[in-house]
Amino acid sequence: MTAPMPAPALPEQRVRNERLRLRLQAIRTFGRRFASRPDGVIGIVVLLIFTLLAIAPDLFVGPLQTATTASGPSLSPPTAANLLGTDELGRDILNLTIHGTRISMVIGFLATIVTIFLGALVGIVSGYVGGRLDTILMRITDFFLVLPTFVLALILAPIILDLVGANSEFFGIRVTLLVIVFVIGVTSWASTARIIRSQALSVKELAFVGRARVIGSGPGHIMWRHILPNVMNLIVANTVLVFGGSILTETTLSFIGLGDPFAPSWGQVLNAAESAGAMGLGAWWYVVPPSVCIVLVVLAFTLVGSALDDVLNPRLRVRR
Amino acid sequence: MRSPLRDRIARTVAAFGLALAALLPAATIVHAKDILTLRVGTVEALDSLNPFETALNVGYEVFTLNYDLLVNFGPNNDPVPGFADSWTQSADQLSWTFHIRDGMKWSDGQPATSADVVYTYNLELQGTKNGGVVGLGYLDPYLKDSFVTAVSAPDPSHVVITTSRPTSKLTHSYIPIVPQHIWKNVTPANINDFLNNPPVVGTGPYQVVESTSQYVRLTRNRYYWGKQGAEDEIVIQYYPSAPDTMVAAFKNNELDYIHSPSAESFNQLKTAPNTVALASEGNGFTQLNYNTYTKGGGASTTALQDPLFRQALGYAIDKPTLIQKVLLGYGTPGSTQVPPWEKAWHTEPNDLRTFDIAKSNSLLDAAGYPRGADGTRVDKQGKPINLRLYTPNTDPSYAKDAQFIQDWFGQVGIKVSAQVLDEGTLVTDEALDTTKPIKTQLDYDMVIWGWVGDPDPNALLQILLTSSIGSTSDSQWSDPQYDALYDQQNEAATDAERKMYMDQMQQIFYDAAPYDILYYDNNLDAYHTDKFAGWQNQPVQGGAPFFQDGSINYTLLTDATLATPAPSVTANPAPQSSGGTVAPAPSVAPAPVPTDTGSSGSPLPLIVGIIAIAILLVGFIGLTRRRRAAAEDDE
Amino acid sequence: MGGRYFIRKVAGACLTIFMIVILNFVLFRMMPGSPDRILLRNPNVTADSMAAARARWGLDKPLIPDQLVDYLQATAAGDLGFSFKFHGEDVTDVLADRIWPTVILFGLGEILAIIFGLALGAYSGWRRGGPIDYIGNGISLILYSMPYFVIGILILGVFAIGLHWFPTSGMLTIGGGDGTFGGQLTDFLAHLALPVTTVAIGLIGQYSILMRSSVIETLGEDYVTTARGKGLTSARILRSHALPNALLPAVTLIAINLGYVIGGAITVEVVFNWPGLGTLTVTALEARDYPVLQGIFLLLSVSVVLANLIADLIYGRLDPRVRS
Repeated sequence: MTAPMPAPALPEQRVRNERLRLRLQAIRTFGRRFASRPDGVIGIVVLLIFTLLAIAPDLFVGPLQTATTASGPSLSPPTAANLLGTDELGRDILNLTIHGTRISMVIGFLATIVTIFLGALVGIVSGYVGGRLDTILMRITDFFLVLPTFVLALILAPIILDLVGANSEFFGIRVTLLVIVFVIGVTSWASTARIIRSQALSVKELAFVGRARVIGSGPGHIMWRHILPNVMNLIVANTVLVFGGSILTETTLSFIGLGDPFAPSWGQVLNAAESAGAMGLGAWWYVVPPSVCIVLVVLAFTLVGSALDDVLNPRLRVRR
Repeated sequence: MRSPLRDRIARTVAAFGLALAALLPAATIVHAKDILTLRVGTVEALDSLNPFETALNVGYEVFTLNYDLLVNFGPNNDPVPGFADSWTQSADQLSWTFHIRDGMKWSDGQPATSADVVYTYNLELQGTKNGGVVGLGYLDPYLKDSFVTAVSAPDPSHVVITTSRPTSKLTHSYIPIVPQHIWKNVTPANINDFLNNPPVVGTGPYQVVESTSQYVRLTRNRYYWGKQGAEDEIVIQYYPSAPDTMVAAFKNNELDYIHSPSAESFNQLKTAPNTVALASEGNGFTQLNYNTYTKGGGASTTALQDPLFRQALGYAIDKPTLIQKVLLGYGTPGSTQVPPWEKAWHTEPNDLRTFDIAKSNSLLDAAGYPRGADGTRVDKQGKPINLRLYTPNTDPSYAKDAQFIQDWFGQVGIKVSAQVLDEGTLVTDEALDTTKPIKTQLDYDMVIWGWVGDPDPNALLQILLTSSIGSTSDSQWSDPQYDALYDQQNEAATDAERKMYMDQMQQIFYDAAPYDILYYDNNLDAYHTDKFAGWQNQPVQGGAPFFQDGSINYTLLTDATLATPAPSVTANPAPQSSGGTVAPAPSVAPAPVPTDTGSSGSPLPLIVGIIAIAILLVGFIGLTRRRRAAAEDDE
Repeated sequence: MGGRYFIRKVAGACLTIFMIVILNFVLFRMMPGSPDRILLRNPNVTADSMAAARARWGLDKPLIPDQLVDYLQATAAGDLGFSFKFHGEDVTDVLADRIWPTVILFGLGEILAIIFGLALGAYSGWRRGGPIDYIGNGISLILYSMPYFVIGILILGVFAIGLHWFPTSGMLTIGGGDGTFGGQLTDFLAHLALPVTTVAIGLIGQYSILMRSSVIETLGEDYVTTARGKGLTSARILRSHALPNALLPAVTLIAINLGYVIGGAITVEVVFNWPGLGTLTVTALEARDYPVLQGIFLLLSVSVVLANLIADLIYGRLDPRVRS
């Protein structure tokens, strides 16, 4: 007897290989389409630069300057020694701004995760399951939508800080920052949930979902394997926009006074500038760098987000 | 072709514009062109016109303009005639007789007599009987600390106050004399609801005629018994949360005087034209306090209860650097709880601690806190010492102090983690509630905060009493000897005796170091000199014109634009206490026509606003209807 | 408009409002540091006066049910209580003082943003690809990415502090103007100019982008080619098709905006020291003035609910698909 022939690749194996090939092709197409949008590309480049700065600020400007390690005279304009001038304690503004990148980006990133996670979860479940659960969830979502998010944030912050209390750090992140993350997440998830839900509603009607149900797949399985991948495009586009929005919200909250002077974000630097009376003193170097960074980053997210949105969710265009 | 949208938008905007115009404030002030207004800016917003209900500096400023105290504060905080123009103490020192100025009138023309004093003081006496409070209770100590037993008026010109112990505090009392005929229905039970709306009636030099959320406006009291300043009106404007805007307004000549600009802005104002920028000694301090509670609570180490530990740490604080870097030099290094502003009472302690890292290290070693393997010191239970430092979010300078302290304490082996907390949270952390279990309370190690005192040092001394635990005590410190000395100094018969006890209290406090007083903050003020002249300071040496104690400096201003200083305006020539009645002279300045009063808005603006919004809605609906019609046209 | 739709929407709004009222109470009572405690920073305060303050403000009664029931009853009767910070004043009075400055500021700002935004967007879309389009789009995007207060600080710095063209803060010059109505109006408008510009600039981007896409979309439609063939001018097409197309989403945008705009209100008002609800919120928050905070929270939430309700009703009226 001869050795048994190698078994042909099992059907599942073949399907998986095919799926992988299609996915790679889709990614390549996506990449090409995205690259043809100059605004999206610019946005990505800007974000990459800021991400680099956020990951390793020490590499670029050294450790965060504190009151004791301040390098220059108080409120001096830009000089060779301090390229962006100094604040009222003599700390280098360039140093503060670069370190602020990390704080602002980390807060934005974590807040986005919270927002998207909550929003997608509620949106998908509500959209797919429908019925009474949908009504209840939507009622709750609407409720969160009408709450004055800003006032709510101001109120929640001391409450949460009081509850969480003593520990100063969780996983290397100060509690005050985590509080802001939570507050932004709680107040932003509702609009994401609404958007995802409408998409889930339409995906639900697609044929393969019906088929999956017929063959007996459970709702969890369907939501995970069928609904989620088909709303993923929307989620991705939304994530980027939410990230930009989180940074804006964090900046405003810090400016009002919820920031942490010991881990200053851009908004906190602006708050310190306002307290020191920077504008009245003509200390434009205190106000301009953080503002420019905020605008650049949020703008970049907006550009990337809308480019993504166009590429991933093409609308039917009428040919002229 | 018509353009419906443009029409509609134009009409809507016009409607809104009309609504806008109608919504202008109802206070249509009719001004004679030559009214001289003194415009003052401060960062606090007035909370109440009722002197018994205000907790803020600006509230005190307003009521000392409106009312006289029985005895006013003079240029050096010395007693000068107020409601009473002279006073004597009996031979046994247990009774005071005050002579009420003859012919004095309230600002509404009614006669002001001793009955008003009796009314006011009895309001306090009745209210504080059996542990009660009058209003917020901030004015109560002035009678309680003076051991007053009874107040009576043998005739309209005399008031007799009897005390159970000899005291001189009656001539330093912040209680304003209020008119019985206006306040007659006010009792301790309902005083909280008495708003004291404008026009306020008092015997002070200027009376409130208008009070809004943005400012308070005072005008001359035509019946004032004394000298008034050149200003016809005083407007105090509030800039809460916006000190920068206040400074900008000052530089723009929208304000004549500002109180508490930031130190950086202050520096710039020093070189501005026609401007005096004044840094004066303040009656208060900023402290670093430890959680010294010995009966439990959330302190992270027992080392905090050890005075040797706290003393050693005191050598690791470089106060001159803090003052230079954080306050830009506007302060003096701290020592005892009685600020040097109290020239008669402050005493520098023995064994003054200076910045000496080496000494701090050796003292910590000697006190039994050796360094562990990683350099962090361990306490007597073997736990590494890691202190939490909390600061309130009300003042950015506290967080800056904290950064320095974190670094210095790190150099002597004490790890510090700092955090800014919301004021409400911090206050709750520090206040012990004896009705609740101790385990979850007092969850802090160190706090940076501050206090502002009264003309009498009692206010700051009593923060450290055992009885203040649960209310004003930041440290939960308790020392029976200190408590006993407090009563002794309060009951002392002579100033010399009082000082003796107070010196001991200061030394005990300094040695035990439950608080390390970082510095005594300066007051920062600035004013223009081209519109008003005659600016005086209180105290005369090293004080500031306004926001001190009393309103005397408002009455000393002259008009800087006049070639020769005009004689200061007098509504009535000041009658002497020995004289008979003096016919009041008619007031000199044109009194502005009093206009509307009260601070609440009328419902009219709201109604008009709703109409405007309704117009907008109608516009939109009508417009979209047109769109459908137009679309149908085109199909 | 379908009756069922109407009733459903209104009932939903009422339920939301009720939930807000409850949350209002719970949230503020959870805040650490009750108002009597805040009084502690005056050295003359004693345990007695604190206890008296607590009793007077009803804070010594158990939270649930006593305080909650009191609060619900009072709110239903329209009594929002007395302010803790402005001792003795009605919350309704405190709010009434501050409402209309905020309404003016944001109402006018929103209107200006709509007018100029729609105009800019229309022009950009019409001359698509032209220089105005790119510049306009770019500026809109940049402004959209700026927090309100940054715009405010820059405007304040340049026009008030730098150029002295406008007063720096507040709403009126006290004792200012010449006493005539015209003088007062001018003074008011001078103070209003910078803050209202800030708000309008912050909002203009969205409307311009919205209008631009609407115009582009409209121009691509078949019936436009037909209309052109029929001889209608471009301007007429713009006005009767593109503009109305954009207005409907604009209406919903206003309602959605209300929530975010209120957030911006706080910062713009703080920067310009504008005496509206924003600065009141900050003051009340520092003083833990629960009744005032609750009043503001209630007012804002109810406004947003009503605005959304109105937007829903308008939509329902105009778009039959929604009603089913």
